[in-house]
Amino acid sequence: MTERRTSVVLGPGVAELPGAPPLAFREVDLLGRADKAGRFSVVVEPGAVVAAIGDEESGIEALGPLALGLTAPLAGAVEVFGVPIALLPYYDLLGFRRHLGYLPQGDGLLQNLTLKDNVALPVRFATDHRLHEVEARVAQLVDDFRLRSIAALRPAQATEEDRRRAAMARAVALNPKLVVLELPFVGLTSRAAKELLDRVSRSDDGSARAILLTSRDLTPAVRDLVTHAVRVVDGVAIEAQTRESGWR
Amino acid sequence: MRAVRAASRLTRAGRWVMLRVLINQIRFTALQAIGLVAFLAAILAFLVISQSIRQLGRFGAVDNLGTIMVVAVIRELGPLLTALIVVSRSGTAIAAEMATNRVMGEVTALEAMGIDPYIYLVLPRMLGAIVSVATLMVVFDAVALLSGYVAATTNGMALSRYTAIVLRTLSAKDVWLTLAKGVFFGAAVALFCSYHGLAVKAGPTEIPQAVTRGVVATIVAIFVLSALFVAVAT
Repeated sequence: MTERRTSVVLGPGVAELPGAPPLAFREVDLLGRADKAGRFSVVVEPGAVVAAIGDEESGIEALGPLALGLTAPLAGAVEVFGVPIALLPYYDLLGFRRHLGYLPQGDGLLQNLTLKDNVALPVRFATDHRLHEVEARVAQLVDDFRLRSIAALRPAQATEEDRRRAAMARAVALNPKLVVLELPFVGLTSRAAKELLDRVSRSDDGSARAILLTSRDLTPAVRDLVTHAVRVVDGVAIEAQTRESGWR
Repeated sequence: MRAVRAASRLTRAGRWVMLRVLINQIRFTALQAIGLVAFLAAILAFLVISQSIRQLGRFGAVDNLGTIMVVAVIRELGPLLTALIVVSRSGTAIAAEMATNRVMGEVTALEAMGIDPYIYLVLPRMLGAIVSVATLMVVFDAVALLSGYVAATTNGMALSRYTAIVLRTLSAKDVWLTLAKGVFFGAAVALFCSYHGLAVKAGPTEIPQAVTRGVVATIVAIFVLSALFVAVAT
């Protein structure tokens, strides 16, 4: 007898607002400033790859945790698919995050799991797939991110590029519509950076995926894939560029 | 309690992952500690019974041997010593692992994936510690009784007499007390060590301090619980 399966991603009853952008920062205070002039506003539209570029004191480190609801904004609002994410109750928030992909700074891979088990973790916890379906999905991700030969290694045994591949595979394991990448290109070659961003920016059905990435600089190799870039200084987006207008 | 309720709604694959963590915890906490627990139980019971027979024999009170065996070794020292062994082996490991999880950003990564770290990290370790401590206490008691017999025969006491003396004092209450202590002591080991491990904020240098805090808090909790058990059970 077959059991009824409800959905691919098990989430709470928090609904996305139809037509709302995947991610919107509205006058967010990134650095704890009282003045309204020092606030950050950016909207990530569906299918857009937005890069927030800034140095260590620019406040871009706060964007990922704010977008995932890991921290609440000191002022302003962060909306994910129209939902003020920081206001969700804890278990609703956990379920809602399964619609998002996240690459934390430093990868955040679990050190006691193999790279493959790290990739498999969200699929095992957040879906009601049968075990063989979980394994099939994991095998597909392992192949897509070229992890096959190193899948059994622990993170400490792998190279930085391999760890990043595994962390990115884990970020898109549930095929999210929005992915947040924190400093994804640190320690990568230009070729690897382009390859990985290209893979992450496409959903399983081939459509473009919304991405917010933070970076110290916009590597020339990935410029073709970025649709919009904002330079952040002291918590404020001071300069916006688009691919169409050409990069300066 | 919210974590326990949420765990009951886990997916099949999620339950499988948790089961693997639980089995690993039991393997490390119980299986790998059986030898040490059995060795210490044997030494302790042998020493206590040997000394007791000699001292009690001088006053013709050897029949009180059962009280010493059951009250001192089975009811009090056994659970305490077992819990202390588990704290020193597994409590330290749990606290260090949790602290490392926190420092390496793994806890944040779990939350970002929509996984409750209390379900993934703490709950299986707590269940594993409860099962392990309760099981090890039973092992301790069994080995202590056996070793007590060896000590008794070495000192000239027949098996039938030793058995009669011990069984006269041993009751079903001792079995329930042992199991109850296993549950409470096991939960204390996992909860205190996990709490102090996850409370780390500053960085890797805080990990040893977290381990120390977790172990000290657990030892204090175990002695307090032991005293409470005496108060409630008597």
